[in-house]
Amino acid sequence: MSLIEVKGLTKSFGSLEVLKDLNLTVEEGERIAIIGSSGCGKSVFLRSLELLEEPDSGQIFIDGKEITAKNAKVDHIRRSMGMVYQKFHLFSHMNVMDNLCLAPVRLLGMSRKDAEEKAMDLLRQVGLAPRAHDFPSVLSGGQQQRIAICRSLMMEPKVLLFDEPTSALDPTMVGEVLAVIRMLAKRSLTMLIVTHEMNFAREVADRVLFFAEKGIYEQGKPEEIFDAPKKPLTIAFINKIKHFSYAINRRDFDLMKFHGGIQTFGEKYGLKNNQIMRLQLCCEEMVMDMMENCYEAGEDVSLEFTITYAESTKESNITLLCGGKNYNPFTQIEDDDIHLGITILKKMASSCEHEFSDGRNKISLCL
Amino acid sequence: MSLSDKLYRIFISGGSYLTILKGLRTTVAISLASVILGTLLACLICLLRTRKNAVIRNISAAYIAFLRGTPVLTLLLLLYYGVFARAGLPSALVATFTFALNFSAHVAELLRTSISATEKGQVEAARTLGFSRWEAFRLITLPQTLEIAKPVYQSLIVNLIQWTSVVGYVTITDLTRVINNISSRTMQPFITITIGMFIYLGLSYAIYGIFALMNMKKKGAA
Repeated sequence: MSLIEVKGLTKSFGSLEVLKDLNLTVEEGERIAIIGSSGCGKSVFLRSLELLEEPDSGQIFIDGKEITAKNAKVDHIRRSMGMVYQKFHLFSHMNVMDNLCLAPVRLLGMSRKDAEEKAMDLLRQVGLAPRAHDFPSVLSGGQQQRIAICRSLMMEPKVLLFDEPTSALDPTMVGEVLAVIRMLAKRSLTMLIVTHEMNFAREVADRVLFFAEKGIYEQGKPEEIFDAPKKPLTIAFINKIKHFSYAINRRDFDLMKFHGGIQTFGEKYGLKNNQIMRLQLCCEEMVMDMMENCYEAGEDVSLEFTITYAESTKESNITLLCGGKNYNPFTQIEDDDIHLGITILKKMASSCEHEFSDGRNKISLCL
Repeated sequence: MSLSDKLYRIFISGGSYLTILKGLRTTVAISLASVILGTLLACLICLLRTRKNAVIRNISAAYIAFLRGTPVLTLLLLLYYGVFARAGLPSALVATFTFALNFSAHVAELLRTSISATEKGQVEAARTLGFSRWEAFRLITLPQTLEIAKPVYQSLIVNLIQWTSVVGYVTITDLTRVINNISSRTMQPFITITIGMFIYLGLSYAIYGIFALMNMKKKGAA
């Protein structure tokens, strides 16, 4: 029997549909990393498993018991799942020891003495035994998160759910929390981890789910998803491809604004100055050449630029869609003075292509 | 007349210190009863205020807005001379009821804002550990709410004590009324009223002292 089974999960907030007909089966001992851009529903999915979000339709089975059933003993089923939150949510009016002992003593009927022993044992494993009697407010984010993990473990859950456990931490503390999760991973505890730490996901997970378009868009082994993603959105996400687009509809367009846009885009994603200048130069040359050769004088113009930059490979692409006549700038005679700009451009680009279809020229440049 | 003579005339002769003590007792009794009754009422109002049902919610919101927005003295006069005029209730009872109503509105609002100041995530954390809604409220939200509300709650009590000084309007002989009587009789308003104010001051600081003591005790326990 699978530990977690999700059938046809659908969830909307008002008119916004976040998850649609999502299906997933998780076997015991599996470690699953969930990745995807912000707002793709991965947190909502995790919260649905705990029924913190009530699904609109669909069924969720935890260890064979349906938590979405009308008369389900939700409080009871939740005991077998541990949840670790982005913002820790330790009980702020209790010290660390009370945070850890509260649930096992009150819910599992464990004696206070046994609970304290177990808590000390866990605290020792995460290196926080000396902080047992401190209040959460005096601890760092990393320490709080490690204690939050211990608090979940006190209930001996069958599965641990991590909702971006390191997103609220500053970079110096991410390591200590990931180390604790790695340690748990070695004990073959079932885990679902929503994370933005790609290297960590690759190292720890047996299976990676990429969330997009209201559900699991692509899934596979870490090496499949990270090294050879198959579907376009996954590829764009893994290579961290950024977009900038700009449309030109008149001959006397605002060239400075266009340049400014490219500049801002480049600076935002850390392109070097000379890369930015090259992009600006290429775009300017292409605009001038295409406007002159594709359109008759006085005719309305329409050019659409899309610049993409892949953070992982540091490659940028320029795509230009331009109406008018079929005209390939790259086949013109090279030593012609008029086409000097294009000659430079061809030297700079690692590849340049032209095709004409549906009455539009499409030019792709790779820098 | 020397100062000691004046003080003797004001506080000792004819047993006026006894009258003062009696007035003080009335003030304390009305205040204490109003605090207890008002706090209980506040919990009820706050509960209704956070219901899903819009009608109940709006009624309790109107209750709070009306009582917080009108002088407590006008409410006292309304209840004593208007609503309960023919009921023949003791004036101290009407006064207690009045101050309890007013106090409950302030405390209900205080509780509501304090609850919303607690972190919802902690309740979620408790729920995912397996606690029921009520247990999560009792173990997590409630203690934190009380901690947040405490400083404002104690100054509301001090305010209430001071506001009871208007009960003389409905024939109750409280501390203020006694002080006023003595100052007219002895023709020594300056000294008498000043001393009266210091008694109120002492009362207020007794309240702060009680809360400080409670805090110390809690820290000692933790």
